[in-house]
Amino acid sequence: MSEAMKLAAGLRERAGKGASRAVRLTGRVPAVIYGDKQAPVTIHVPEKELTKLLHTGHFMNSVVELELDGATHRTLPRDVQFHVVSDRPIHVDFLRLAIGGTIAVQVPVHFTDEDQSPGMKRGGTLNIVRHEVELNCPSDAIPDQLNFSLAGLDIGDSIHISAITLPEKVTPVITDRDFTIATVVAPSALQSADAAADEETAAAAAAESAAEAEAKSE
Amino acid sequence: MLSPKRTKFRKQFKGRIKGDSKGGTALNFGAYGLKAMEPDRITARQIEAARRAISRHMKRAGRLWIRIFPDVPVTQKPNEVRMGKGKGAPEFWAARVAPGRIMFEIDGVSHEIAKGAFERAAAKLPIKTKVIVRLGEPTGEVTK
Repeated sequence: MSEAMKLAAGLRERAGKGASRAVRLTGRVPAVIYGDKQAPVTIHVPEKELTKLLHTGHFMNSVVELELDGATHRTLPRDVQFHVVSDRPIHVDFLRLAIGGTIAVQVPVHFTDEDQSPGMKRGGTLNIVRHEVELNCPSDAIPDQLNFSLAGLDIGDSIHISAITLPEKVTPVITDRDFTIATVVAPSALQSADAAADEETAAAAAAESAAEAEAKSE
Repeated sequence: MLSPKRTKFRKQFKGRIKGDSKGGTALNFGAYGLKAMEPDRITARQIEAARRAISRHMKRAGRLWIRIFPDVPVTQKPNEVRMGKGKGAPEFWAARVAPGRIMFEIDGVSHEIAKGAFERAAAKLPIKTKVIVRLGEPTGEVTK
């Protein structure tokens, strides 16, 4: 687990569409802190710093310490809304963390040892089924990322959650099956070439059968 | 070229593309995507041209997902025909694309190759586009 991220927040007195838009015009992003059986607090955070944290790639599974009016709130980002066209953050949800609590978090997946995979060397592509895995973990020990090794994987092979050892007290939310994380597949170009070859053979077969039918009718 | 297998009606009204895209605005499959910044109809021919440009630049590596489908039949009247006498014949298929829509996604290639492939694909499309990158990938803009 990495160090907690820090963000300076300000109190937002008015909620709603108009107030939020006014906040965004000042270079800040509306946000809310909720959870831990306390009343929600509407806040705003600086857009520049928030964007920097988003670029780290593990913002959604990192503890964020929000400094608000001299007090520090330990939170976990639960949702970030982005503008559909400009991709700027427009709202953030922060969940207040209870001391000693367990929480379900989406942890990003990373892959290593690509050069040791025979399938990848042959031109195969890594088809990532899950970019993130939902894990139940203690709020003070959230993993940054899950590292999966691709060593020894050929085309058609797959990696499941059982392939790695999770840290202590960390369990996947899905427990009824050994779910797939990624598979090594043939690249699209090879697949489309195969499909084209199949189509050609099918067309040739159809043309042959049509010619036979014509010959019979004559 | 992409086209529907069968349709309930042969011809459709022209319609308008209003507002931003309501879905298909986040990366779902790959690490890189090509996002539409303007509304327009993208024809099946343009989608195919962009697909070819991408797959040729990627040189048989990686994977490509096309996230738009041309399901709107576009009719045209023949040349030098007077107005009236009914709607023209269906000529081609198009996809209605609103701003924010991710049209193509790529995975399994480097950022440089993905960027190059999308630049070539964008040249085949009638709208302004931008390349987006999954959060946490080495470079690019922020998107979820």
